[in-house]
Order: sequence, then structure tokens, then C-alpha cells
Amino acid sequence: MRDDLHALSGSYVLDALTEPERDSFERHLQHCSQCEDEVRGLRETAARLGLAKTVDPPPQLRPRVLAAAYRTRQLPPIGDRIEPERRRTRVRAQRWLRVPQVPRLAGAFAAAALVVVVALGITQVVTRHQPGVAQTASTTISRVVTAPDARTETVATSAGGTVTVVVSAGQQAAVVSAAGLRSLPAAQTYQLWVMGPGGTRSVGLLSRTGRAGPVLASGVVPGDRIGITVEPAGGTSSPTTTPVLAVPV
Amino acid sequence: MRRTAIRQLRPDPGPAEDTDRDPDLPGLLAQVARGDHRAFELLYGELAGPVYGVVRQVLRDPAQSEEVAQEVLLEIWRAASRYDPAKGSPAAWALTIAHRRAVDRVRSESASSRREEKAAPDLSEAPDDVADVVATTLDGQRVRRCLDGLTELQRESIKLAYYGGYSYPQVAQLLGVALGTVKTRIRDGLIRMRDCLGVAW
Repeated sequence: MRDDLHALSGSYVLDALTEPERDSFERHLQHCSQCEDEVRGLRETAARLGLAKTVDPPPQLRPRVLAAAYRTRQLPPIGDRIEPERRRTRVRAQRWLRVPQVPRLAGAFAAAALVVVVALGITQVVTRHQPGVAQTASTTISRVVTAPDARTETVATSAGGTVTVVVSAGQQAAVVSAAGLRSLPAAQTYQLWVMGPGGTRSVGLLSRTGRAGPVLASGVVPGDRIGITVEPAGGTSSPTTTPVLAVPV
Repeated sequence: MRRTAIRQLRPDPGPAEDTDRDPDLPGLLAQVARGDHRAFELLYGELAGPVYGVVRQVLRDPAQSEEVAQEVLLEIWRAASRYDPAKGSPAAWALTIAHRRAVDRVRSESASSRREEKAAPDLSEAPDDVADVVATTLDGQRVRRCLDGLTELQRESIKLAYYGGYSYPQVAQLLGVALGTVKTRIRDGLIRMRDCLGVAW
């Protein structure tokens, strides 16, 4: 077991790792049963910290959750469970947090579209985030990327690296991903905008590491531009610097 | 309807009205995985408070917390068949989903600016906040006592990361210590908490 990775177990169960570290630690977990044991114990410990914060939710939450649940199809079991004594080392680490969406998603795509999806790193989204979010995001994102009128453009930015924008006029949306932009200091962030004749609105913040996405920008219409600016950490309500990139839609 | 943490982790027989149901959480989850509505209602009673509490602690904003808690509880319904008892307790499974979802929300584009404006200053009050809520349950009192047994750096690192939803580089920056120091303090602190609480998994 590598010491530097091992030291990440605590931060991992507190969801305090950066994404690249989370990924590499999860890969490490798959073949480190000692780490898996430690993670299990620390996760239970973190749960105690959480239980100490128990608060009665607002009463309206219950009927909403129950109604939503009964409209929602449940996931089938994973189906490759094996006997407990072998499970530890053979089942993928943190399997129970994951949903194997990728194959099903892939099956729904035309081959050409799949290439685009993979190029954009959508498979990362699917495995990295929580299943529900991933599904929602990737469903919408895949609709845009696989739309018959989808247009893909990869543009270099003045902050280095490239940004890929897939636009579908029919879906009125764009999918944006960035790679290789220079890392920003902690006090700054990249912010994504839709800039149109009617004004500029924030889509959200992008990782200051310069690698981000795919991110969905909805409500995009012809005449809009997709822009990225460098802003103070936390973002701003309108751009304060010259965009490092502005792609006409 | 606040339940004690002990009940959630080591369930005892449920109230009389539920005698026709298996009151233990793994059993309930198995029933939920088969689409049992009544079991999900019982499970909601057990997990909604902890889930909402964790999400609220991290996000602060009540409306946003409610939204995320709903997503998490729905996810528990949807993914009940994926719960694996060999990997941990149902409460840990649920709270892992809740915490990660809340942290994802914090770090995701749209939420971060809103939250930082509204909630970041609150964090300085976290210790008292913890003490207040924690004192309300027996298990909570143990959590409090065990937190008190940590070094200050361990305690603050863990609170900022778990309750604050900060990444460890952000924790390092807030505390003005090296990255490696925070990593090891978080791990050492959690190990000490685990042993202090007698967590056996």
C-alpha cells in the first residue's frame, strides 16, 4: 500500500478529496483490501458525525418524496454478487455507490455520437457523481450531443488549452467541456456564461484546474455566445474580465 | 420525530404498530428494493432526519437542502437493491449518498456562489452548533465527547471537511497548515473517533 494514497482514506470518506484524487483512491481501493476495511470503519465513523446532526425535515418533504418514489422505477440488483469472503477483494470498490449506466447509455447511442460522448468525458461524469444526478445530467447531455443537428466545435482559449462546445439548436442547449486551461490560484475560478443580445447569464463555475465538464448550458438560442471568464472564487453575477473564450452559437 | 442514532445503527424492535414489519434497517432496505411502499415509508421515518440534517449542515440554505434531501431519499428508493450489508450499515450508506450529494452541490457550478455568499461566514459557528445538536441524543453525546478528545487540529479539520463540505486543500488553506498535515490529521482524527465510539465494521 502506498503511503501517500493510504493517507487519503480519511479525506475520502469525508468527501474532501479533489476529483482526480478521489478517482485514483477509488482505483487503489479495488485492490487494497486493507484500505477497504479502513474505509468501511471510517465511513461508519463519519456516519456517526452525520447522525449527530439529525434534524426533522420540513413536513412537506415526506409526501413529495413518497409521491416521487412511487413514480420512479427502481434499479435492478447488480447481479454479480459473490460470496462474502471473496467479495471484498473482487467486487469493485464502492460498488454500492455506483450505477453501471455506461453500457446502457452507450447502447442508446449511434456509434458516431458515442465517439463524441467519450471524447467529452461523459463516462467520467457517469461514474464519478451520484447515480441520480449522473443520470439526469447525462440524459440531457446525451440528448444534446446525439441531436441530429448537433454541431461540435473545439476552440483554443487565451488561457491555453481548448474548449469543446456541442450545440444543438433543436435542443436549445450546448454542452461544454474544457481541457488544458491554465490552473488558477485558489482565489479565482473559471466561470461559464451564455452571452446573448438580451444579456449575459451565468451557467456556472468551472474547475479552476482548467479541466471541466461536460457542463450543460440550456436555453441557448442562435445569436448567443458561449463565454468563459476568470472570476473571483465563488463567481460573480456578470463577467468582470475579458473572456478567455467566446464561441458564437 | 427525532430518533436516536443508536436506533439507526443498531435497530431494536420497532413500535407496536409496526409489528408486522421487520424493523431492522437492512431488512427494510431489502423490502424497499422489492418495491414495498410501506417499507419505504418506515425507512423514510428512520432516514429522513439524518439525511436532511447532513445535507442542511453542509448546504445551510433550507430550500436547497430540502431539494437535495429529496434527491437523496429518492435515490435511496431507486438504488435500494444496490445496498450491500457487507460494505456498511444502512445509515452509513444513506449518509454517504447524502453527504456526497451535498458536497457535489456545493462544488457544482450553480450552487457554489449562492452558498458562499449565504453560508460561508456561518462556519465559524460550527463548533457550538455541533455541541447543541449533539447533546440531544445519547449517541450524540458520545460523538461530542470523542470530538473533544481529538487534538484541535484534528477536530477542526474533520469539522470543516465533513460539516463544512470543504475539500482538504480548502481546509488546509482555512487553517493555514500544509496539505499533507491536513490529510494525516483528518485520518488520524477519524481513526481516533472510530476507536472512541467503538465503531466495529
